[in-house]
Formats: sequence, structure tokens, C-alpha cells
Amino acid sequence: MHSRVYAIIRKEMRELLRDPVYLSLIFIVPIALNLLFGYGLIIDVKNIPMLFYDLDRSALSREYMHSFTNSEYFRFVGLAKNYKEVDHVIRSGDVRVVVVIPPDFSRRLNEGRPAQVQFLVDGSFPWRAEVVKGYVSVINFLFNQKMVTEYLSKKGQAEVIAFPISVEGRAWYNPALESKNFIIPGLLVTTLMFFPALLAALVVVREKESGTIFNLYCSPARPWEVVAGKAVPYITVAFISYIIIFLMSVMLFKVRFTGNFFVLTLGAILYISCTIGIGLFVSIISRTQVAAMIITFLITVIPAFLYSGFLSPLTSQDMTGQIVSRFIPATYFMGMVRGVYLKGLGFNYYVWDVATLMLYAAIVYTIAIASFKKRIG
Amino acid sequence: MFSRILSLARKEFLQILRDKALLFILAWAFIGEIYIAGHAISLEVRNSPIVIYDLDKSPVSRELIGRFRMPYFKILSHITNEKEITEWLDSGKASMAIIIPADFQRRITGGKIAKIQAITDGTISLSATVAIAYVAQISSEYSIEILEKQGKFTRAAFQNLPIIDERLRVEFNPNTLHSWFVSMLDLFYMITMVSLLLPAAAMVREKEYGTIEQLLVSPLRPGEIFLAKIIPTTVIVLSLSLLSIFFILKSIYGVPIRGNLLFFYSVAAIYVFTMSSLGIAVATISRNLPQAGMILLLILAPMLFLSGAWTPPEAMTPWMQWASHISPMRYFIDFGYSVLFKGNGIAYVWHDIIGIIVLGTLLFGFSIWWFRRKIAK
Repeated sequence: MHSRVYAIIRKEMRELLRDPVYLSLIFIVPIALNLLFGYGLIIDVKNIPMLFYDLDRSALSREYMHSFTNSEYFRFVGLAKNYKEVDHVIRSGDVRVVVVIPPDFSRRLNEGRPAQVQFLVDGSFPWRAEVVKGYVSVINFLFNQKMVTEYLSKKGQAEVIAFPISVEGRAWYNPALESKNFIIPGLLVTTLMFFPALLAALVVVREKESGTIFNLYCSPARPWEVVAGKAVPYITVAFISYIIIFLMSVMLFKVRFTGNFFVLTLGAILYISCTIGIGLFVSIISRTQVAAMIITFLITVIPAFLYSGFLSPLTSQDMTGQIVSRFIPATYFMGMVRGVYLKGLGFNYYVWDVATLMLYAAIVYTIAIASFKKRIG
Repeated sequence: MFSRILSLARKEFLQILRDKALLFILAWAFIGEIYIAGHAISLEVRNSPIVIYDLDKSPVSRELIGRFRMPYFKILSHITNEKEITEWLDSGKASMAIIIPADFQRRITGGKIAKIQAITDGTISLSATVAIAYVAQISSEYSIEILEKQGKFTRAAFQNLPIIDERLRVEFNPNTLHSWFVSMLDLFYMITMVSLLLPAAAMVREKEYGTIEQLLVSPLRPGEIFLAKIIPTTVIVLSLSLLSIFFILKSIYGVPIRGNLLFFYSVAAIYVFTMSSLGIAVATISRNLPQAGMILLLILAPMLFLSGAWTPPEAMTPWMQWASHISPMRYFIDFGYSVLFKGNGIAYVWHDIIGIIVLGTLLFGFSIWWFRRKIAK
């Protein structure tokens, strides 16, 4: 019995080693993706191109403009000459915010009366528009505060009313709130979701298309032995990728790592088993390689990024999102990875995650083995 | 020539239509997947789970706590000692703890400044920043009300102060609805993925089966073989996207389709051609489907994420901006939002169209050249 599993493992290994192009791709792909996303995925909202339509052209309006463009959040693009230009730049997307300063801006303010400024924000990217809204109101608030203070002190009312409540914000685990500390560990999860699944997605269906599946049908090997024999070599390969990605995150990207490597590795082995299992399951139920590949791409690549809590906490998703996220193993591993990297907690905090991943793996392999039928048609 | 291409295209059609699993997943991708995506994915901070540590327990502090409510925050528990904060944040059950000091009410009624603390879980730095900003907003709104009650200041006083009132308008998406953005993005993702994968897989299969030899001895030229693979993909992708535009985007999410659909469709057809050419180029250089799968993953994953939807062009580093120009998807995303969503005409997107055409021609030409040199020899 063990020798049968072993024989299938040996055959799969040999097939892997025989194709040097494929073998090197297996190692290049995770490294390349990690480099690309690690350096390329910039989600901080900064340097937003901003255009001004200044109808006032006074010293005060210039000062107001500077208060925006001096920050790292907005980048000065230029001054619009007419309203047509304003409409054009927002439509073309070259500029994300246009500030329209009315002609009576400085006159009203100098007289101590309120003035209105219009901000037009490109809504193509709604969450960035939301962030821009926040920046605008903060910068505007600070400018107002300064102006009111100056105005009152000029009038001799030096005493300025301060807000009775102040907020002191502190961030634990990632005090400088660096985005790399959550993106890079997150990439470990996303890459190990779609990459192993894709590795495994073709291994059974290939044999169906080439006809060699009949060798397995006729052999005494039982379904579970076939599935185990096919899973083990790919789990090994994916495990090596895990080690590489982990080392890159700590040594190249210098992410804080405060936890226990063995806890992480235990989780990773279970997680890889799950994702290989998903690939194998797709491979077993598909009739053609084309279908297997497309199904795997669809159910792993986008969900890995969007439903796993990679960019935003799961608590922000609505019902549908929460339900979908429960069906992918990345959700369970994500919490564990972020915890181990940044929070440095002991094993007892992850018992539940580990147990869930185990259960997930058990279900996936049970379904995979059950759907492997040694029959035709 | 046309009848030759058509008869081969017919065969490709039949091959796709025969694969029920493939058909099902394609329909699912354009309908179910896009429906779920529009519903679920959100980068906003919503219902952020928090715990409150109120040392004051006064009417003023209770009034403040009452303002931490949905949709921004969800209070999970009122805790009674500092150790609990660590537990809630470590386990990840809460993402923020608000600490109200014991002298809160006394200081406020005494006209002094009271400081509250907001301790956030910084692991997802993006949402931590937003959550702290919400706390600041809530406390400053409450501050203004307290000042009004204390008679230190009235809203009417605003009329006699030089205060700039920011009037913010989000163009094209006034309520910053996330579903509009994500459902469209997912449609563009699906168009991209399917037009890349389908012809690539069909082409590699001919190689693996050896049926490519039959095509070589037929009177078909390489370009004609490729076109025969591209035509069915184009028909399938375009008809499925028509379904998702009308039934999901328009009917369910109410996305305003402001542009000319015919214009969108003509360019989308060219884009499918370009992406298919990329797929075929990958297919001609790889020996088998596993190899092709790895290369496609290497191309697709960065393309999806660096297409300008999550990291917009202005946030990219110079090398990324340069690299994004060789990704057809970057042009298509820009084109898609510009035409479909903003309702722009050709004057705004001609450069995107040229980009798509140039890349498509290059890739198609490369495939023919490589095919002649390596395979047809």
C-alpha cells in the first residue's frame, strides 16, 4: 500500500524533473511575482494630481493653494485658464482633483466673512475619492484655524477657542503604519493560494487527455493513493516556494517578524495542502485541461486578493463578502500570518486557525478522493 | 481564405461548446462572479469592531461613546481593565480600543482639554489610518456641540469669521458607490482573463495532441490558424460581456452607462484580439500546458494588479509607469472607465486605442514569426 503511493510520487517527481523549463518556471514565478508586487503595489494615496482654477489671483488664494501642494498628498499640476479646461482634465483623468477658487475669495475673507471653494473630485476610483475627501477637509480645517487665529488676534481677541476633546491615536504592532508590513506578509498568503492550485490543477486532467489515466484506472492503486501520490510532490515544491517567499519578506523587504517561525511553517504546510487540494479537485472533475486551467485561475487569483482580507479587514465586507471569504482557505491563513509576523503571539492564539485549516484540508481531500472514480463516462 | 478561416473557427467553436464545464465556468465568470464582486469588495472601513474602556462613566463620556456607531464602528464590548485591551487586539477580534480618562467630564466642564486615546491594530495600516481619522472627526463634531452648549460659540458666529467652506463634489459617482467601480473592474478583469487563457490553451492543446501537424500540412497559413482561434473567443467574450453589462451592471447595480456602447464594443473587440495574440504568443513559445500556465500566471497577475485600477498611474514609480505601457490592460482599463463610465468620446481615448492596436499587431506578428521559425520548419 505504501509502496503504491510511493511509486506514484516517484513517477510524478520524475515527470517534474524531466522538464527543466517547467521546473525553473516553478521557482521563477513566485519570486518574480513577489518582487513585482512587493515593489509595485503602492496603495498609499499620495501625490494626487491637483489642478487649480483660480479666479481670484490674490496672495491669499496662492497661500491657500500652497497649503495643499506643500503636502505630500497633492501634486500641483497647473492653473486652468477656463472652465472648459477644468471639465477636460477631470474627464481625461489626468487630474483627480480640481479646486475652483471664486473671484471674491480674498475680498470676503479679508472682510472677515466666509468664502466658498469648490472641489471637483474624479469619482472613477471611489475609495481614493473618499480618501481625497478626508485630506481636503483636514488641510482646509488647518488653514481655517490659522486664518481665524490671525484674524482674531488682529482684532485683539487673542484668546482662541480650542476643541475640548483631543484624540491621541496610537497604532500597535505597526507603529509607523507602514503599508509594507501588511502587504508583504499578505503576498505570502495570496501567492501560496493561486500558485500551488495552478501547479496541481493539470496533473490529473493531463492524464485524462493523454489517455495515461487508464493505467491508473487499471492499476490496483485506490483513489486516495492516487490523490496522495499526486499531492505530495507538489506540496513539497510549494513548500520550497514558501521558504523562498518567507526569506524574501524578512531579508529583502525587511518586514517586522516578531513571531515564531515554526508556528508559521505549521500553518503554511496546512495551507499549501489546502490549496494543492483545491487544484487537484478541479483537476479531477474537469474533462479538459483548458477548463481546469481557467476554472483554477478564476477561483483562485482574484478571490485571493479580494476576499481574503488582503487589503481591508473582513469586518468591512457586507454579508456576501463575508460568506465568500469563509470558503477560501486564504482567509484563515491571513489572520495567522499577520499575527505571527507583527504581533508575535504564542501558539495558543492560533489553535483555532490551525484547526480550521486542518478541517478545510480534510474536507477538500475527502471531496477530491470521492470524486476520483475509476470508471469511464 | 475566408472560408478556410471560418471552417477552422467553426471547429474551435464546437470544441468550446462541447466542454460543458468550461461553458458553465465562463457564464459564471461573467454573471455570478461579477455580481458577487460588486456586492462584496470594499476598501472602505465599515463596522470596524471596537472596544471601549471608559474610566469616567459620566453622561459626557456616554454621549461620546454613543457616537461611535454604525456604519463606521461597531462596539463589541465595554471593558473594565487595561489588560483586556491587549487580549482584544491580540486576538484580532477588535481592531481598536478607545480609552476615556477618569477626569474626562471634569476637564470638559472646567473648560480644559480632555484627551482620549485611540489604540488601533496597525497590521492593516491602510484601514488603521482611516479609522483614526473617523475618531478624530467624531470627536471634533462633538467638541463643536459642547462649545455651543457652553455658549462659547454659535454657528451663527461662523458668518462673522473668515472661514473657507469646502464644497466637495465627486464627479461621475456622487455617492462614491463602490459597487459601480468594482463591478466594472471585474468585467474588465474577466474580459482580460478569458481572452488571454482561452486561445492560449486551445493552441497548446494542438501542440500536445500533435494535431498541429495536420494544420501545418493544410493550406492554412499561421496567421489564419491564429485568427481561427481568436474569432470564437471574441464572439464568446463579447456576448457574455453584453449579458453582464445589461443584467448585472445596469439592472442590478445601476451603473450609469454613459458612453456609446457600439464604440466600446468595437474597441473591446480589438482588445480581445490583442489579449488573444498575447495568449497565442505564449502558446507558441511553450511546449506544454503546464509551462504555458506558469508563463500566463507570470503575465496575468501583475497585469491585473498593476493595470491602474488599484495603483493609479500617478502613484506608480517611474519604472512601473514605463512597464505599464507594455501592458495592453492598462490601456483598456483607462479606455473602459473613460468611455463606458464617463461617457467620453474618441478625443479622450485615441491614445489608448493606438496602444491596444500597436501591442496587438506586434504580438500577432511575433507569434507568426516564431511559429514559422520554430514549428513550421
